[in-house]
Amino acid sequence: MLATLLLSSFLLVAPVDTISDYYEVETIPTPPGLVAETGGLSFLPDGRLAACFHRGEVMLYNPKTKIWKLFAEGLHDPLGVVALNNRQLLVVQRPELTRLTDSDGDGVADTYETITDQYGMSGNYHEFAFGPVRDAKGNIYISLNTASNGAGIRNELRGQYDALGRQGRMYACVPYRGWVMQLTPDGQLKPFASGFRSPNGIGFDAQGRLFVTDNQGDWLGTSKLYHVEEGKFYGHPASLVWRPGFPDIDPLTLPVKTLDSMRTVESVAFPHESMAHSPTQIVVDNTGGKFGPFTNQLFIGEMDFPHLLRILPDEVDGQMQGACVRFFDNGGNHGVRLRIGNNRLAFAPDGSLYLGQTDHGWLGARGIQRIRYKGNLSGNGAPLDIMSMQLTPTGFTLTFTQPLDEASARAVAAYHFRSYYYEYHQAYGSPQMDVKSVPVTAVSLSGDHKTVSLTLAELTPGRIYELTLGDLKAGQKKLMNHLICYTLNKLKR
Amino acid sequence: MYKFLLIGFVLLVQTVKAQRDTTITVTTTDALQFDQKRLVVRQQTRLTLIFQNKDDMAHNLVITRPNSRLRVVEFALALGPKGPAQHHVPVMDEVLAHTRSVEPGTIDSLVVTLTEGAFPFVCTYPGHGSIMYGVIYATNEPKRLPPASQDPNMPNPERLAETGHQHHQPMNSGHPYALQLPAVYRTFMPDCGPAAIAVGLPGPEGGQSYVFDAGQCRLRYAWSGGFVDNTDQWEGKGQRLTKIVGEIYFRDTGGFPWRIGTANEQIPQFKGYRLRNRYPEFQYIVNGVTIHELIRPLPTGRGLVRSFTLSPSKESVSFLAMAQSGIQLKPSVGQFKNGVLRLPAGTRQFTLTMSN
Repeated sequence: MLATLLLSSFLLVAPVDTISDYYEVETIPTPPGLVAETGGLSFLPDGRLAACFHRGEVMLYNPKTKIWKLFAEGLHDPLGVVALNNRQLLVVQRPELTRLTDSDGDGVADTYETITDQYGMSGNYHEFAFGPVRDAKGNIYISLNTASNGAGIRNELRGQYDALGRQGRMYACVPYRGWVMQLTPDGQLKPFASGFRSPNGIGFDAQGRLFVTDNQGDWLGTSKLYHVEEGKFYGHPASLVWRPGFPDIDPLTLPVKTLDSMRTVESVAFPHESMAHSPTQIVVDNTGGKFGPFTNQLFIGEMDFPHLLRILPDEVDGQMQGACVRFFDNGGNHGVRLRIGNNRLAFAPDGSLYLGQTDHGWLGARGIQRIRYKGNLSGNGAPLDIMSMQLTPTGFTLTFTQPLDEASARAVAAYHFRSYYYEYHQAYGSPQMDVKSVPVTAVSLSGDHKTVSLTLAELTPGRIYELTLGDLKAGQKKLMNHLICYTLNKLKR
Repeated sequence: MYKFLLIGFVLLVQTVKAQRDTTITVTTTDALQFDQKRLVVRQQTRLTLIFQNKDDMAHNLVITRPNSRLRVVEFALALGPKGPAQHHVPVMDEVLAHTRSVEPGTIDSLVVTLTEGAFPFVCTYPGHGSIMYGVIYATNEPKRLPPASQDPNMPNPERLAETGHQHHQPMNSGHPYALQLPAVYRTFMPDCGPAAIAVGLPGPEGGQSYVFDAGQCRLRYAWSGGFVDNTDQWEGKGQRLTKIVGEIYFRDTGGFPWRIGTANEQIPQFKGYRLRNRYPEFQYIVNGVTIHELIRPLPTGRGLVRSFTLSPSKESVSFLAMAQSGIQLKPSVGQFKNGVLRLPAGTRQFTLTMSN
């Protein structure tokens, strides 16, 4: 009797609090015979989902009837789709950006219109084309992968060949490889920004700023999120050969110091060991709370880990920087598990997040899943998680979704910082360099108990501040994510 | 007599050493796999294993004790941030030998003496260990090994077919529908620029097919007896070419065929295609003239009928085609002179029948 009482009170007093109490995963059945290496997802205005797949199919899924229909076929490795209206989709495939139109209204595309193909192809498999995304002014952006020296090039190329761009592990021997391209409303395709290696994620934040993810490898000590602006160079040198006015030299012959001074650094680095091996698409939570408490924040997919990434932006004196945190880490532990290979993301009209998975010859999975927020339905309220991390002149302020219990939040021992950086160099990846433990010298808690202010013993720009949080609590709620990595580019005065 | 002595000497040496030295090279394929997934050596082999990484990401190669692959992989994953510094190899008895982290395009080797048994080898990079592995059998009875297709120590090629309902009714087409001709594949085709469009047309004996080069806006070649095999192209990362099924009977050995006026530069711009009863009608623009091209099979026999529609032009319009043995070209207007078909002024539509 006593044992039963103890047990039941234990169950009542200390329920297990995990992210799966707030979100659930559902696997979307895909049609028999479909090899669901998902290259793109986009919702049509009428609520149907458009999805494109590695073998060239573009299919429409009606979430209400759960019926899939073929819309278009025969595309060359399509890796992005955006719905223009209920009868038109914009798809990027290896050779071009294509507008698919169902002009006779029979539900199947009959017109495959080349919107632009004004970039080169060497035939190397790594020359993927990603995107498209549209800004408020009607510009469309795509990003072009460099080629890999894991394989050669074809005898026949499309576009001009430049042997100076053929050097290095990832190379750009045909135009605009390693570039983000802008297609203006008048149809001109302009090279917009350079220095990318494998820019598989492209999207806008809530303010309409363009962001691109890039993948750890040569010249990328770790994977990154860049705030992309016209004319800037983001660090992978191969693409420089296509920069107007760039001298006729192999960019790899430039001193690293020179390249380093030319580049614009990332807004947020994703530490390879914990956050991302291969970041993918960027989407902004525009669900107005239907997807939980993270309205207007960026979510980013990841190929190798069964989690997504969430961005906590911070703007210091005009410099974009900020932190990343895992989202849905270990999610689905009492239900359907989240798979890896989350290549494409799209918010549905109902506020759930659809995930298109692929492996594409790398690590990953296949299929489509969705994550649905059930927090408000279950009456649990929002999970306890970090909402923002902002730099102060002496440390950081952390804001949480819930008021924190005072005792746990005020303990200095609950905040452990490491700081390190990743080397900018030609080699593949980088170890964490100059790893230091950074003592927290003071902690204060705001009156509403939601914001913690930390004072650190030292702050140095050009480093990542990796914070491991202790067991912070908010009543019955446990902290969902203990690891937060802040990329400190610029100090706050 | 001398021969017998030599054999006797060899036998003696082997008995004394009771150990063999073997060198094997293992490489990577482009799909997170070792190129060889089953190696067989004799018992008591001192094996030098050379690992050549041809992939575009780093890997290692770790040989474990029998039945220890998953445990080693689990411990490697648990290394977390410490992993890279120790090449993602956990320090544990189950690890018999390992390479360092092998960057793309580089080589490392290991030496291990294998007594008897099934010794897994695996890449312990985070995430790789569940699919990128193989087995080394040290045995004097290789005939008793299971067939490779039933070997539980080798990766299962169906490893990713995890959602059962997806694979109950595999279509021969490789799609969730049967392939219906005419059909279009944009893919990497042999003997063509990288922006290739393969088109399969209906007809007897597997139909007829052709490749249109979207980069150069022209027909490249045609074949009969089948369409394409995309197996290699679809597998992995997409480097390998789609294969032609059938026999090529026509190759256009010239360049872009159209001449509008007298301008030297005649660079066409591909504009896409429209499906008409599933037949693609290509559209491209050269020197201000929009050209539509729709290709159908000859009703009987081997050949193609190319139908062209042109927007008005004030300039002269010519179509170039080199004479080829075995190929008859018959335009519906005018005639070829020295490989040039000069269209009568005002021609807006014509066909070119190509037969073999």
